[in-house]
Amino acid sequence: MINNLIVSGSPHIHKQTSISRIMWTVVISLVPAGIAGVIIFGFDALWVTLVAVAGAVLTELILGIWAKKKITVLDGSAVITGILLAFNLPSGVPLWLPIVGAVFSIAIGKQVFGGLGQNIFNPALVGRVFLMASWPKYMTTFAQPLRAGAGYDAITSATPLAILKEGKVLEHISYLNLFLGKHGGCIGEVCILALLIGAAILLIKGYISWHIPVTYIFTTAVLAYIFGAAQIFHGDWLFHILSGGLILGAFFMATDYVATPLTAKGQLIFGLGCGLLTAVIRIWGGYPEGVSYAILMMNAATPFIDRYTKNRIYGAR
Amino acid sequence: MNLQEFLTIFISAVFVYNVILSRFLGLCSFIAISKETKPALAMSSAVMFVIVMSSAITWFVYRFLLLPFNLGYLRTISFILVIATFVQLVEMVIRKLSPQLYRAFGIYLPLITVNCAVLGVAVLNIDMFFINGKPAAGSFYYSVFQGVCVGLGYTLAMLLMSGIRERLELCNVPKPIKDFPLAFIIASILSLSFMGFSGFSR
Amino acid sequence: MKNLIKEFTKGIIKENPTFVLALGLCPTLAVSVSVTNAIGMGIAATFVLLGSSLIISLIRDFIPEKIRIPCYIVIIATFVTIAEMCMKAYSPQLDRSLGIYVPLIVVNCIVLGRAEAFACKNNLARSFFDGLGMGVGFTLALILISAIREFLGSGQILGQALVKGFEPIFVFGMPSGALLVIGLLLGLFNLLKGKKEGTG
Repeated sequence: MINNLIVSGSPHIHKQTSISRIMWTVVISLVPAGIAGVIIFGFDALWVTLVAVAGAVLTELILGIWAKKKITVLDGSAVITGILLAFNLPSGVPLWLPIVGAVFSIAIGKQVFGGLGQNIFNPALVGRVFLMASWPKYMTTFAQPLRAGAGYDAITSATPLAILKEGKVLEHISYLNLFLGKHGGCIGEVCILALLIGAAILLIKGYISWHIPVTYIFTTAVLAYIFGAAQIFHGDWLFHILSGGLILGAFFMATDYVATPLTAKGQLIFGLGCGLLTAVIRIWGGYPEGVSYAILMMNAATPFIDRYTKNRIYGAR
Repeated sequence: MNLQEFLTIFISAVFVYNVILSRFLGLCSFIAISKETKPALAMSSAVMFVIVMSSAITWFVYRFLLLPFNLGYLRTISFILVIATFVQLVEMVIRKLSPQLYRAFGIYLPLITVNCAVLGVAVLNIDMFFINGKPAAGSFYYSVFQGVCVGLGYTLAMLLMSGIRERLELCNVPKPIKDFPLAFIIASILSLSFMGFSGFSR
Repeated sequence: MKNLIKEFTKGIIKENPTFVLALGLCPTLAVSVSVTNAIGMGIAATFVLLGSSLIISLIRDFIPEKIRIPCYIVIIATFVTIAEMCMKAYSPQLDRSLGIYVPLIVVNCIVLGRAEAFACKNNLARSFFDGLGMGVGFTLALILISAIREFLGSGQILGQALVKGFEPIFVFGMPSGALLVIGLLLGLFNLLKGKKEGTG
């Protein structure tokens, strides 16, 4: 009996479902967004995704063998990291870039902490900010959506948020276009429709709870409404919700089991913090998009949030 | 002296050019003491206090002692003497007033003398707020405020780091990376995240 | 004489101030963006280390116990000021690249640490070689880190491009990259040390 007592950090999930089942369901929920990415950006998107997944899985496999640990690649978590990383990249990146990013995500973002269940930061985002700092040129060159033919050619288009950051007027990007993803951006972030389908799957199955995504999106929207335009209370909050990586981030990355607070109260704080940071960076910072940085910073604050929102044990002070 | 300047100093010192994660000042104490939250908090508050006070004192020394007599090159020696003396004074005062607090701080107090952040901020203030040997408008207030913000940035980095490291005590980190290497890697990721604040305008 | 040589060599590997004693990390990371800066800082720090070790060792019997730390600091600060002024005069460009980290040699843990741990207890000859060894060890560590960072971050070393068509990985020129490099290097050295102890 003593041997069955395990001391570990979060998460402590007491469900019938195994980790594998949850992970592979998340993979399935990401498929609609992946299909949308391929439709909008061509087969480039598919290669980038496959390469990222391969890189992630291989890295975890090799590191596991080298460290003589249990092989965990079949639990699907490396696959998720690969997919999420790819979804945060422009479709036109050279194929070595997602590989390097995936290796970094798994090796530094996850294994260094001791593997699954112990990472402090969301691994895919760690990889993404690393890539952003290392090759900013590749990371900010976006292909035009819905072109015929694949290949990295010279026709590029800026993301709506980037246009906004430069102060230029947005040429009639309708909300419908934003919703369907008919604009420049990263592979998995543009098609809101597909993302929401996937998110619905996870919510219905109870694998993620509404607390973080709703607070996150709501906070960003409110701040965008108040401060997002030259005049106070004139911000285009719907535009902000539908642009950039907010939906992708709020539903799929800010809800990472391990890197986010355990209690409902903690999760509300987490969502609030993410929303606040994202809005601040988007409105006043130098980068057009702040989702990755916001989530990582809140990941760092999670141990603290957990400490102060722990449930009281009966009988203790 | 305007609000914008203060805001810029704040964002700069706390986030964009965070004293530890970006300028690497105070790194030794950061790596050594950020393992647990209580000592981290104690060290941070002591450091903040010393930084703010020495920012003020060194500003006066530079402005009214060194500059008028063209002794600018004695800056390094005089600043470090000021800091060492001040820390010694603080130590003696705390010892007299509250032996309990003195014991709580332990060896941290004298260590602050060699904390790069303290001397670093003093020198930084001079470099940033004195132009051609003359103090810029509002120089004193900017200097002290920068001291406060640097202290805040230090505290922020320490707290985040200690929370993370305490949590990691329960995880099975690969052995070669335990403690120091892992601390640096975490700091690296934190530094990357803080980059989100770069390019702040307005 | 053999003992003296040992004092010198220990500073390079066995008790390397950067990788083993973990001292003086602040300037190490800040300055290691380019090999040129690294060499410059290394020389300046070695000069201060040598000078202060010598003087402190010379007058070690005359310094009262209670105020020894402030005394060391004054001596070290004097040498730092000399180094500062020489640098400003003979290589202003280096002075500008190194910025505030030159005066910060005063609080470089290596310098004060060696004074407290060694120079005040040992004779002139031993202190000289100890200071020299530590300084050289520090410089070598700096060069190692900055070579990695400069090559990966800009594809050059000492301003000379090495590999054609190499895409620089900008992050290594940034603070984050510095922290990463030293974290991974420390981990690597730990791994090697562990292996050696395991098989030895």
